[in-house]
Amino acid sequence: MTFSNPIRVGRQSAIRVFAHEYRDATLPEQGSGEYDPGFMVTRLGAKINRALIAGTIDSSERRESESGQSFRFNLIDVTGTHRVEVSPFNPELHPEAEEIHARFERGDRFIMMVVGKQRSFTTEDGGVFTSYNAQEMREINSQTYAEWLAETADATLRRIDAYEKALTAEQSMAGFRGAGIPEDLVDGMLLSRAHYPDFESEVYMLDVLQALNAALGRSVEIVNRSPEPVPSNPVVEEKPPQNIVSENGSAMSLDDLIISTIAAGDRGEGVDYDAIIRECSVHGHSRQDAEDAIDSLRAVGGRISEHKFGWFRLTEV
Amino acid sequence: MSDGKYDTEVKLVLQEVSNADPAEVAKEFERYENEFLIPPRDALRSVVRKFMEPGSDADKTVSQPAIVAKKVSRFSELGSNDRNVSIEVLVSSYNSRLQQVRGEERQIGFGFIEDSPWEGERTKWEYKDWGNKAQDLLPNSIVRLEGVSVNEWNGKKSININQTSRVSVLKEGSGTPSVPTSEPITIEQASKGESTVTVVARVLSVKPDQIIRRDGSGSIDVVRGRVGDQTGSIGFLSWKALEVEEGDLVKIENAQVKRFRETPEINIGDYTKIEPYHDGAFPTKDDIQQESKSTIMNLRDGMRDVEIELQVVDWTVRSFTTKDGESREVRSGEVQDPSGRCRLTSWAKVDLIPGSFIKIQNARVQAWQGSPDLVTDGPDQIEVLEKAPFGPIDSSNHWVTEDLDVLTSGGSRRGISTSGRIVSVRSDSGIILRCTKEGCRRVLRDGMCGEHGEVEGSEDLRLMMVIDSGVSNASLLVSREPAESVIGESFQEITERIRTSGREPFMSELKERFLGHRVTVNGRSINDDRGCMIQAESLVVSETTPVEIAESVIERWGVVL
Repeated sequence: MTFSNPIRVGRQSAIRVFAHEYRDATLPEQGSGEYDPGFMVTRLGAKINRALIAGTIDSSERRESESGQSFRFNLIDVTGTHRVEVSPFNPELHPEAEEIHARFERGDRFIMMVVGKQRSFTTEDGGVFTSYNAQEMREINSQTYAEWLAETADATLRRIDAYEKALTAEQSMAGFRGAGIPEDLVDGMLLSRAHYPDFESEVYMLDVLQALNAALGRSVEIVNRSPEPVPSNPVVEEKPPQNIVSENGSAMSLDDLIISTIAAGDRGEGVDYDAIIRECSVHGHSRQDAEDAIDSLRAVGGRISEHKFGWFRLTEV
Repeated sequence: MSDGKYDTEVKLVLQEVSNADPAEVAKEFERYENEFLIPPRDALRSVVRKFMEPGSDADKTVSQPAIVAKKVSRFSELGSNDRNVSIEVLVSSYNSRLQQVRGEERQIGFGFIEDSPWEGERTKWEYKDWGNKAQDLLPNSIVRLEGVSVNEWNGKKSININQTSRVSVLKEGSGTPSVPTSEPITIEQASKGESTVTVVARVLSVKPDQIIRRDGSGSIDVVRGRVGDQTGSIGFLSWKALEVEEGDLVKIENAQVKRFRETPEINIGDYTKIEPYHDGAFPTKDDIQQESKSTIMNLRDGMRDVEIELQVVDWTVRSFTTKDGESREVRSGEVQDPSGRCRLTSWAKVDLIPGSFIKIQNARVQAWQGSPDLVTDGPDQIEVLEKAPFGPIDSSNHWVTEDLDVLTSGGSRRGISTSGRIVSVRSDSGIILRCTKEGCRRVLRDGMCGEHGEVEGSEDLRLMMVIDSGVSNASLLVSREPAESVIGESFQEITERIRTSGREPFMSELKERFLGHRVTVNGRSINDDRGCMIQAESLVVSETTPVEIAESVIERWGVVL
C-alpha cells in the first residue's frame, strides 16, 4: 500500500522546547476522533504531543492515590520549570522514579532528560496548567544538557522565524507555506495565530540567548543551582534596592515592578509566575533576582498571594 | 488478560452502562493503555462513550424502528446489508466524474478508503460519494464516516457515502479535491495524487504492449510510453489505440492518474480525449529528456523508463535453474552515483568492469527488501561511458549525509548517513530468537513464528530504538554486527553476561549508552506506510561538543550574543 504523501500516523516526534514556551501555552488541541493524539499548541506554533526536555531537578514528590503511586518532579532549565509526572499507569518507570525521589530527598541535585507526553488541565475559570507525563527519563551530565540547550535554542529560533513570517503572511495553509514556514509548523502556527494575541517574539529570544550562553559555557547556572531551600526568613530590607528606570523616566524597584505587573495583568484569575518573571527579565532583572523577589513578597511582605499554584494575586488590604 | 488492574475504572464505566460486559470494558482499558498510551483515567470518557453506543443493549429497550447504527473499526465486520454504519477510515484517493442520475447531471466521487487508519494492518475498499463530500474527503485525510452503507455487487463489497451521511475530518489530508476540469495542470501536479487530470505534454516515447489477463482468457493490446513538460515526466498506459508519435505535443483531457507501486501513471481510457496542441515555446523532447535524467536518491519502486548514469562498484554472475528445469543466468552488482548507492540487475549478458561508468536507459525500478533497485532486460539498455559523468567516489566509504527529515519523507534509500537523538530504547532489544526454518528469519514471540508456528529458535542480537530529530523520527534497527561493534563486546560475551546477571542490567546499560544521546548512523532507510525504519550498518554516538552545536546555531540564525 502506498501513498502519494506518506502520512505517519505512528509516532509523534519529540519537540525540543524550553519550559517557558511550554508553560505559556494555553491551547490544548484534541482531535475529534476517539484515538486522536492530543496536543498543546504554543504561542510559537509548536504542536506538542511529545517533547524532549531537560533540566535540574528542583522538587520531587511522591503521591499515593486510589489508582496507585505517582511521582512529580520539577526540572528547571534556563527559562523556567518543567513539571513532570510519572503516573501510576507507568509502572515500568517507578523503580527509576523511586531512586530519583530518594536521591532528591537526600539532597542530591542532578540534571535529567525526559521524553514526555503533554498533559494539561484547564481550570473552571479558563486557566491552563501544562505538564508532562514521563515516558523515558534518565540522569544526564552537563555536557549532554548543554547539547540539549543548543538544540532547543535552534528549534526555538526556527519557530521564532516562522512566527515572524506568519505575522505578515496570509492566514491560511497556502499563505504560510508560501511564506516559507516549514511544513511541520504550518498547522500549529495557524492554530496559534487564531488563538493567541500578537506578541513580541523577543521574550523567547531571551530564552535562546540564555541557553546559547549556557551551552557555550558562559554561564555558571547550568548545573549547580543551590540545593539549599530558599532561606525561610530573608530580611527584605537587607536587599540592595534594585532600581530600574522605566520608560517614562521614573525609577521603579523590582518589587514595585512585580506588583504593578500583577495589578495590570490580573483579570480575575491572577497572573502566572512565568509572566511575572518574563516582565522582570524584559526590564533587565535576572531570573534569580525576580524569583527571590516574588518569594519574599509572598512569604515575608505578604503583599502578594499564591492562591493556586503558580498564580499570583495582590493581597487585598 | 484483565487481572483486576482496571477494576476502579471498570466500576465507573458500569455505573454509567450497567449492562456492559466487565471483561470487555477491562480489555478496552487495556487497549487504551497499551495501544493508545492513554491511561485508564483519561480513557474513561471514551470507554463509556464506546459502550453507550446506540445499538448496544442499553439502547434497544427504547423502541427504535429505524435501522440501528453499526459502529465498526474494520471492513471485515461489515455484512452486505449493513446500513447506517460508522467507521473511521483513511482516504487513499478521491476522484470524481459527472454522471446522469435520474436525468440530472450529478458529480459522483469515487476512490479507495482504508480501515484501521491509526495502526495495524489495513484493508482497502472502494467507495462512492453520492453526497458531494469532496471537501471532506481529501486524499490522505483520516475521517469518521457516519450513516454510510455497504453495497455489494458481483461479490465485491464497497461503501456508499450518501447525502445524509456525515463525514468528520479527524486528520487533515494533504491533497486537493479533484474536481473534473479541463484546465491543464503540470506533470508535477498531476504526479502528486490519484485523480482525473488534464495535461499538456510532449510525447517522449510510445510503444505498443500487451497485458496478459491473469485468468488466462487472453491478452489486451495497450500502448505504453512517457510524456513530459518542463516540470517533469510521467509514464502513461493507454487502453485504446493512439495516433501519436514521439515528439508530438498533445493535450490529454480527462485521464486518470493511478499509482503502480510508488509511481504515478496516466491512464488513458475511453473517456479520455487526446488532441494535438500548439505552443512554440514548449520544451522539445530532448530538453525534457535531458532534465528527466534520474539520480539514485530519486528512484522509486515501480518507475519505468529510467535513464541514469552510474559507476559500477562490483559485478557478479549467478546461474540458477528455473522451475521448468531451464538454466539461466542473472548478472547484478552494486552501483553508485553522487546521491547514493543501489543494486543493478541485468537479465542480458552484459559484463561490466568494477570502477567503470555506465549509462542505462529504459530501466525499471523494483523494490527488493524495501530498497529501490534498477533492473534492465536487454543488452542495448546499458552503455559503457568513455568519460566519467561525475567525479571519483570512494566506494568503500560512500555515505551520503542526509537529514532525517528528508529520509522520512522521501523514498527508501541505501548508503545514507544521518543523525538524531535516541528518544527510546525498546525493550525488545538484546538477545532474540529467530525462526530456523529455511529462508525465514522472523523473530519469535513466545517461541512462536508468525509463519511457521512453534519452532526451535536460534539466538541473535539486535537493538531496536527510536531516532528523533525534533521534526521527524524513525525506528532504528541495529543488527548483530553493528550492535557488537558499538557495544564493544561479542555476541557470545553479551549472551553470557545476560545469562549470568539478567536482562535488567543489560537494558539499563543500553539506556545509559544511548538514551538521550545524539547518534550518527550509516545504513539504509526503508519507508512504507508504517513509517520509516533505518537499518544501521554502523552506529556511533556523536562526539560533537555543545560548543560546536551552539556555534553552528548562532551562525545559522545570525544570532548576536
